[in-house]
Amino acid sequence: MAEPSPLLTRGLSKSYRVGHIRQSLHPALIDLDLEVRRGEILGYVGPNGSGKTTTLKLLTGLLKPDGGEAWVFGQPLESRAWRHRMGYLPEHPYLYDYLTPSEYLDYAGRLFSLPAPVRRKRARELLALVGLERSTRVPMRRFSKGMVQRVGLAQALINDPELLLLDEPMSGLDPLGRRLVRHLILDQRKAGKTVLFSTHILSDAETLCDRVAVLRAGRLVQVGALGEMLRPDVAHMEVLVEGPGSGLPEIEGEMRREAVGDRTRLEVDEKALARVIVAVDAAGGRVLSVQPVRQSLEEHFFQEMGGDDGGGNSWEG
Amino acid sequence: MGGLSRLVAVAANTFRETVRERVLYNLVFFAILMTLSGLLLGQLSIRQDEKVLKDIGLAAMDFFGTLIAIFIGVGLVSKEIERRSLYPLLAKPLSRGEFFLGKFAGLVFTLLVNIAVMTLGLYATLLATGRGADPGLLAAIYPIFLGLVLVVAFAMLFSTLTSSALASVLTVGVVLAGRFSDVVRNMREVLPAVPTWVVDGLSAVIPNFRNFDFKDRVTYGDPVPGDVLLWVTVYAAVYVTIVLGLGLASFRSRDFQ
Repeated sequence: MAEPSPLLTRGLSKSYRVGHIRQSLHPALIDLDLEVRRGEILGYVGPNGSGKTTTLKLLTGLLKPDGGEAWVFGQPLESRAWRHRMGYLPEHPYLYDYLTPSEYLDYAGRLFSLPAPVRRKRARELLALVGLERSTRVPMRRFSKGMVQRVGLAQALINDPELLLLDEPMSGLDPLGRRLVRHLILDQRKAGKTVLFSTHILSDAETLCDRVAVLRAGRLVQVGALGEMLRPDVAHMEVLVEGPGSGLPEIEGEMRREAVGDRTRLEVDEKALARVIVAVDAAGGRVLSVQPVRQSLEEHFFQEMGGDDGGGNSWEG
Repeated sequence: MGGLSRLVAVAANTFRETVRERVLYNLVFFAILMTLSGLLLGQLSIRQDEKVLKDIGLAAMDFFGTLIAIFIGVGLVSKEIERRSLYPLLAKPLSRGEFFLGKFAGLVFTLLVNIAVMTLGLYATLLATGRGADPGLLAAIYPIFLGLVLVVAFAMLFSTLTSSALASVLTVGVVLAGRFSDVVRNMREVLPAVPTWVVDGLSAVIPNFRNFDFKDRVTYGDPVPGDVLLWVTVYAAVYVTIVLGLGLASFRSRDFQ
């Protein structure tokens, strides 16, 4: 018998009451049907306010659904047994600032009933993994936002979970931290774990995910592999040229020209590439690089969604 | 078994928080200061010095204990909700009930340690000034502790229902109304417009905190019979169970947006 999916939802819905005197219901998530496959990294993307955090809170029991059902490892959401196999990082986590990261991880480990030696070992390993091995005994009130985020990731991994739910895991991290998290997520997949992470930063999803699920105004609008979603054909060629400056004549098939210091960046049609190289050479210039540009996830969604969800919510590249 | 160990983990962490936040230290310091003030006042009085000292010591315990109970009962639970520190915890195998009761156990343990330290301070003062360590004082201190446990239960209930500011106001309101329950009962004499059902309702719902006050009796040397203490214990247990049960139901049903 096939093992059940790590995560499956059918018709999952949630509305919030808004307003004080005259209250009305604002749908935050509408009939979500989603399956996360074993061993994949699924990016849960959408503009701010599209329902990503609501979904993760429903799955972790912080919110109660208005309708629909969800199963984690084949067990209903209400069951607590699957929680031993899941790790969760909330968005902008606040951890107890009077504790040191070691103490916090020990506390988290106790909630999984891990024996003390295991807790100590896991805490040591995880703090090294997130690059905090030199701050294990520093109270977290002295931590930067990025350091707290790293401890948040470590606590999500304390039980060596099979399924990781990460809400905006790159939030508040510097470039080094973002790279660390990217590697950490990829390492989890390598170890056979399943990762569902939400983000509104499309480049993160593009770099990491096997599949993406796209949410807009509480509705799942698309789910699939990036390769299927994005057109594989080359959109245009980007040519970096040195030398000719204004001496370079306009070339047939040229889409855009831009001066970058003493160089010129050209965007040209793929078929015009040969003509461009000849023209640059004739003008006494030199072609420094030629790069095919394919459609990015960001461009795809801007095209599909008109770049905005109509509610003032925004994407980030 | 797992549930109990998780509950104990939450309780231990709650106690650690109260210690690390140093609030307790300050209030214990103030309590000791009050006891020392009592010592000075005692020297000014004639013959009544021991009674005055006991009076001030027990009153300080009650007063500071109530302040601490309201402060930590509202503060620590509201903080968990408002700062969202419970989010990663509730996603673990920890149930909401285990978290809520663990928090309560941790707060009660904090109050116990606090009142134990103040009791030791009072006895130390009595011994240091050549008076006897009257064990009868415990018959007043124990009901004070029961009253504080009930205050914490109310503070936790209100914290699950509303903001920390309003929860503090409501808890202080219940404590004051409970301490002046005779005023509530006689409200209609002062304010005849108040409907009877309001007065009856308030009298029935708000516990009579004077039931936990044996300070005068003890300082005058009157013994408190064991069955009276037993009745007070049952009274507190019933109220705490109801109030905590309501708080737990509210905590279980709420959404953490």
